[in-house]
Amino acid sequence: MSGDTPLAQSVDDLDGHTLEELSDYLDRDRTPADGSIDHSPGCQLALASLERLRRLTGLALEREAANEAERGDDWIPRILGYIGLEVRAGRSIPFAHDETIGSLAITEGAVRGLIRDAGDTVGGIVIGRVRLQGDVTVPGESITVDVEASALWGAPIRVAIDEVRAAIYERLTTHTELVVAGVDVAVHDISEPQPPASPASPPDTTADPADRP
Amino acid sequence: MIDLLPRTSLANADDRTLAGRAADGDLRAFEVILRRHGPLMRAYATRVLGSNDETDDVVQEAFIVAWRQLPNLENTVALKSWLLRIVTNKSIDRVRARRHHADIDELEFERPDGETAATAMEATSLDEALSAALSTLPEDQRRCWMLREIAGYSYDDIAEQLGLPHSTIRGILARARKSLVIQMEGWR
Repeated sequence: MSGDTPLAQSVDDLDGHTLEELSDYLDRDRTPADGSIDHSPGCQLALASLERLRRLTGLALEREAANEAERGDDWIPRILGYIGLEVRAGRSIPFAHDETIGSLAITEGAVRGLIRDAGDTVGGIVIGRVRLQGDVTVPGESITVDVEASALWGAPIRVAIDEVRAAIYERLTTHTELVVAGVDVAVHDISEPQPPASPASPPDTTADPADRP
Repeated sequence: MIDLLPRTSLANADDRTLAGRAADGDLRAFEVILRRHGPLMRAYATRVLGSNDETDDVVQEAFIVAWRQLPNLENTVALKSWLLRIVTNKSIDRVRARRHHADIDELEFERPDGETAATAMEATSLDEALSAALSTLPEDQRRCWMLREIAGYSYDDIAEQLGLPHSTIRGILARARKSLVIQMEGWR
């Protein structure tokens, strides 16, 4: 350990400032400007060190996370197995039928699943949260479907939205008795297309040779 | 139906889309969330806990809580920081439980498994050097540093989370900062 570097020697007295003060100064985005810090070479060196430390803490954890990922993912099915038992049923949506044979209904959760599946048949767009607006528990009541979505960059969004709306409408009228007055699609994100899968290359965090001690 | 557009896979969807689907009960979307954020949550939990003995349990508990609370999450864009908060809560619960059984002085000098040999100067990259430097910190310093720098907790948040005075947290972070700056000095 090189204990004789300038910063190591002066870390407790940086032209009258402490590391803690400089860290607080960074936290405040260096405002209000403090000339005794801004014009001190020692403080500038220490500020650069602190900023690097923050950046590297994030990078170090990302590398540790990459190592974690390589160790395997058997923890994933365990969690999925556990929560898979917890169904999000939501409201119960009745079918009109002869009451003497008992009740017939589909859950709101199942209807949301139908809507997602319908949306997933359309390219260039991925639908997110789905909300059924209106009283779905009353047969014949008119409802609207609100859908959040993200689109693929470069895809003709209008075309994709029209297709999603048609697919959802068709799916709901086929499989439910819901009276769908409208399907509203709100695109909140345009995502970059991902490059085709290639052998994973590790993030380049190797130090520049000039950085070596 | 015309299908001129490429099918977009869930794996490429943004966090808000995935969180929305998971909130609606889509397990596939939740699996993508687990794959995307799980490894970092595991690495973070290991650092906060001080070893990986309880990482599996803590991360599992955290994601089960996340699954249950997702329908109430307002800002699904900030999914990662929300998950970090849940993992922090679950990790600190464990640390507190442990303190009932162990002397705090012992914890101070504990090292994570298998991380005794590496030092910052032997590392081959900057981030590896920092990992090594982090491992040499006493447990309370490393824990506070992670809460501050990774989970973005304020001094007050950390004080509340750990049940310690604000001034104590300041002191712990000051020692961590000084130690890390000096250890990383050779890498300038």
